[in-house]
Amino acid sequence: MKTVLKKIATFVITVLLVTLFVFIAFELIPGDAATYRLGINATPESLERLREELGLTRPFFVRYFSWLGDFFFGDMGTSISYGVSVRSMLASKLPITLTLTLMSFVLVVALSIPIGVITSKYEDRPLSKAVDVLGQLTMSIPPFFLGILITYLFGMILHMFTPGGFVSYDVNFIRFMGYLFFPAVAIALPKAAMSTKLLKTSILSERKLDYVRTAYSRGNSTMDVLYKHVLKNALIPVITFLGMTLADIVAGSLVIEQVFSIPGYGRLLISSISNRDYPVVQAIIAIIAMIVIFINLLVDIMYQVLDPRMRGN
Amino acid sequence: MMKKFLFSFKKNPELYIGLIISAFMVLLIVLGVMFSPYDPDAMDASAKFADPSINHIMGCDNFGRDLFTRLSTGGATTLLVAFFTVLIGVTFGIIVGALTGYYGGAVDEIMMRFNDAVLAFPSILLALVFISVFGSGTWKVIVSLGIVFVPSFARIVRGEFKRCKNLDYVRSARLMGASDIRIMFVHILPNTIPVLLSSTVIGFNNAVLAEASMSFLGIGVQPPQSSLGRMLSDAQAFLFSEPSYAVITGVTIALIVLGFSLLGDGLKKNA
Amino acid sequence: MLEVTDLHIEIEDSIIPETVVYDFDITVSPGEIVGIVGESGSGKSMSALAIAGLLSRKDMKKKGSIMFEGEELLTAPRSHLRSIQGDDIAVVFQEPMTSLNPVKTIGYQVEEALRIHSDLPDEEIKKRALDMLRDVELDDVESIYEKYPHELSGGMRQRVMIAAALICNPKLLIADEPTTALDVTIQAQIIELLKKINRQMGTAILFISHDLSVIRSLCSRVLVMNKGRIVESGLVDEVFDHPKEEYTKHLIEAIPKFKKIAKPSQDPDRKPILEVKNVSARYKKVSGFFVPGTKQKLVVKDASFTMYDGEIMGLVGESGSGKTTLGKTILGMLDDTDGRIIHYSEMPQMVFQDPYGSLNPTRTVGWILEEPLRIKGGYTAKERRERAKSMLSLVGLDETYLKRRPKALSGGQRQRVCIALALMLGPKLIIADEPVSALDVTVQEQVINLLIKLNRELGIAILFISHDLKVVYELCSRVIVMKDGRIVEQGTDEEIYNDPKDPYTKQLLSSAGYLK
Repeated sequence: MKTVLKKIATFVITVLLVTLFVFIAFELIPGDAATYRLGINATPESLERLREELGLTRPFFVRYFSWLGDFFFGDMGTSISYGVSVRSMLASKLPITLTLTLMSFVLVVALSIPIGVITSKYEDRPLSKAVDVLGQLTMSIPPFFLGILITYLFGMILHMFTPGGFVSYDVNFIRFMGYLFFPAVAIALPKAAMSTKLLKTSILSERKLDYVRTAYSRGNSTMDVLYKHVLKNALIPVITFLGMTLADIVAGSLVIEQVFSIPGYGRLLISSISNRDYPVVQAIIAIIAMIVIFINLLVDIMYQVLDPRMRGN
Repeated sequence: MMKKFLFSFKKNPELYIGLIISAFMVLLIVLGVMFSPYDPDAMDASAKFADPSINHIMGCDNFGRDLFTRLSTGGATTLLVAFFTVLIGVTFGIIVGALTGYYGGAVDEIMMRFNDAVLAFPSILLALVFISVFGSGTWKVIVSLGIVFVPSFARIVRGEFKRCKNLDYVRSARLMGASDIRIMFVHILPNTIPVLLSSTVIGFNNAVLAEASMSFLGIGVQPPQSSLGRMLSDAQAFLFSEPSYAVITGVTIALIVLGFSLLGDGLKKNA
Repeated sequence: MLEVTDLHIEIEDSIIPETVVYDFDITVSPGEIVGIVGESGSGKSMSALAIAGLLSRKDMKKKGSIMFEGEELLTAPRSHLRSIQGDDIAVVFQEPMTSLNPVKTIGYQVEEALRIHSDLPDEEIKKRALDMLRDVELDDVESIYEKYPHELSGGMRQRVMIAAALICNPKLLIADEPTTALDVTIQAQIIELLKKINRQMGTAILFISHDLSVIRSLCSRVLVMNKGRIVESGLVDEVFDHPKEEYTKHLIEAIPKFKKIAKPSQDPDRKPILEVKNVSARYKKVSGFFVPGTKQKLVVKDASFTMYDGEIMGLVGESGSGKTTLGKTILGMLDDTDGRIIHYSEMPQMVFQDPYGSLNPTRTVGWILEEPLRIKGGYTAKERRERAKSMLSLVGLDETYLKRRPKALSGGQRQRVCIALALMLGPKLIIADEPVSALDVTVQEQVINLLIKLNRELGIAILFISHDLKVVYELCSRVIVMKDGRIVEQGTDEEIYNDPKDPYTKQLLSSAGYLK
């Protein structure tokens, strides 16, 4: 109980620090909202008046907490380029980025855990070595290049999807999922290769530990030793990795959306950075950071479920 | 001698294969930058998408620029950005990690909370924050990525210092009256080198990827400076008609990453 | 019941094949306790693991025969071995912490063998597991059943290991150094427990240990192993009282046997070199940034004693008694202490327990030895080198060692270097914290002799911290006994060993086999 409270306290502090950091970063940008609204030809007096109105003259922490409060209640300001509320722009794109991220993550888990277990079991066989080499190559391919290769092979040669095409989730959900599948593969493959390698090394090193010998001494079969004893221990570092990976996948989706022309947060973020549309940039970055922190909290809790040593003290 | 080499090769093939691939790539890039007769930016309309030949060993791009020369200069940009990024990351990482790991206490707690907060951002995202604040350009990319890399190095160094400071050889140095600075940098630091070395190479690799991704997105290194990410993004437009442009550029990045990631793994195994 | 003949074990590394066990023969009859004794690397554990069918590494070649109840185990298929493992032959390992699965409950691990080898219903299995936990003399077994290994103490874990091994009532129990990782009083309890099990359940025990006195108190027959070969075997009393082989004699001589080496008579006008007055020490546990307040653990409570010039004083106690902390407190290595410590000498030095951790692995022996002089300053490079050479020769190592790194040294050599390092500044007092407990017996003896030589020839006073009552008796003229952070008794060696006043001292001495 105490540890759960401590975890939540850490979570809150981290959220505060991260949002504070985002807030400060955008405070540092020369020019404030008033200058943007009135343009460079505005008189100092009118600027001053607007600043007063917008609350820009208030003390730093007051501004920070009012920004944070607004943010949590959904008021994220107005886009400079489009003049619409940031919230409405982001709300419609959230399902796209979220689906892409989740689909990639599911692929990583679904590929790496069975392959990791099987290759560790047949460690010395040529096929297992071949999987190792293939994995090492896959890890080295930057996801955006993998995306390009997939576009060429599956899109242009095999015509399994239309490169540059997209169908929104509210039009046809099945086709929407279909269009997200190949981008998800491009994000997932390198991560799945890393996760497979980690699980395999973890299983192999766990297998050398004393408790495995004890398990054999009780008459367990090799399968039972693997599934009843080794696997749970071996998964502990993999869980940490998967947690970190989820954060990387969110970042990876920003780039991959560009490759496959998917109108999610990534495309919006890049175009907003180029257009200096700061309210949008600030909101996207804060949202993604918060998602990542939340994932870390979940991983921490998973950890405690899996590893009794982490409970209590 | 040969037998010994073969033995260590068999024990740690990653190290040697990684060393060979990365040395080969670096050599190729250096050769291209130093000895290529072409200006990487010189356009030649008659050579648009020229096939590989004696004159253009890898062919030409959409403006008729020599591809090998452009890949070399682009690769050089990527490697230099990654090098300075890691230099910033390691230098400050060692300082922060050594102090927090060795002294512990409240400063350590605060620094680590701060570290956690920074690590909560995926590294590209954090670099994007800095880019949107500072604007883009080569040095700004380096500084942005450098800052992004400090926490992860700090965390590794801190862990090593925390582990080492309670070992008996450090206690015994303290007992002899060695100063804290001497203990940190003469006694403990050399012991962290194996771990630091492998994570530096892995960090270098991540920096290569991050730079390439940012330039691919068009917010990293700006033209006319050539960079591999930017070239790949250009090549994507001609993917259907000239797939080899994208493939050659992508494979160049992949080989650099492969070489250094194998090297990093090999060093880690040796540590 | 068990008959092993001509067992050979060979490890085939990719470079050099190495035979680790030669011509190994042993017979164990039902209900018998047989011991195998030898130093580390003698092949004793290898042989035991082979009998238990646990040496299945592909790079290992085995020849000979292992007959158990009329069946050949060496060539038996894995499936047949499995039906015997845990059912007829069970094993207890050395490290109770790492030998239990950290993420499974105690209950699961105790029941496991029974689940594999029987079809009993769950309630019956649980009932038997609880009974078994009671049989190994654990209290509150219902709550232990639900716990995880890290929540138990070392002694409790070893009892759990034994319970898990005995759950199917095996005919043969192989115990591989089961008491080595434990404190003396716990050691004695585990030995008693094994004796009781042998008596009540008739389980034969094959007991592997490097500790001759444990073997002697438990086993009826013994095999002595050295470098993969059995050098001598026979009834315990015969082998120990009339050893035939050189190696066995050597091994037996190396055991400190509560035999006094003549100690110098105490000078009536001796001067104190160290006074410790009402010292307490705490470990502060800073409990995190968000939870204010600090937990404190009092590790040394109100300790007072005086040491005199040129004497060797023993500080004994079990792990957790605070003896190491007291040593560190004396050298000012802890921040949070009360009381007064008066040093009458300059620069007292410390020799640490683990010779692997106390030398900087990245530096050469020469660099390490010169470091104190470099820190102190005022020496030329040549003077430093000369001093390092002479200290090395004092501890019995020649100057070729200057260029070596710690990795290239054996445990005993490292501990010599550690002692040379402590001598570099010419201290009058050395605090030695368990300096021999990580070493093999024969090496232990050499290091002890070195310490005695330093004391006799250079007049260096030594505060000798140890859990080993025999070594302390051999070496020290005065003794302090600590328990739970307190000094429970102090006096001359004769007073402590012949006429202990405190009940804990008595218990400690009887566990070590000193008091009858």
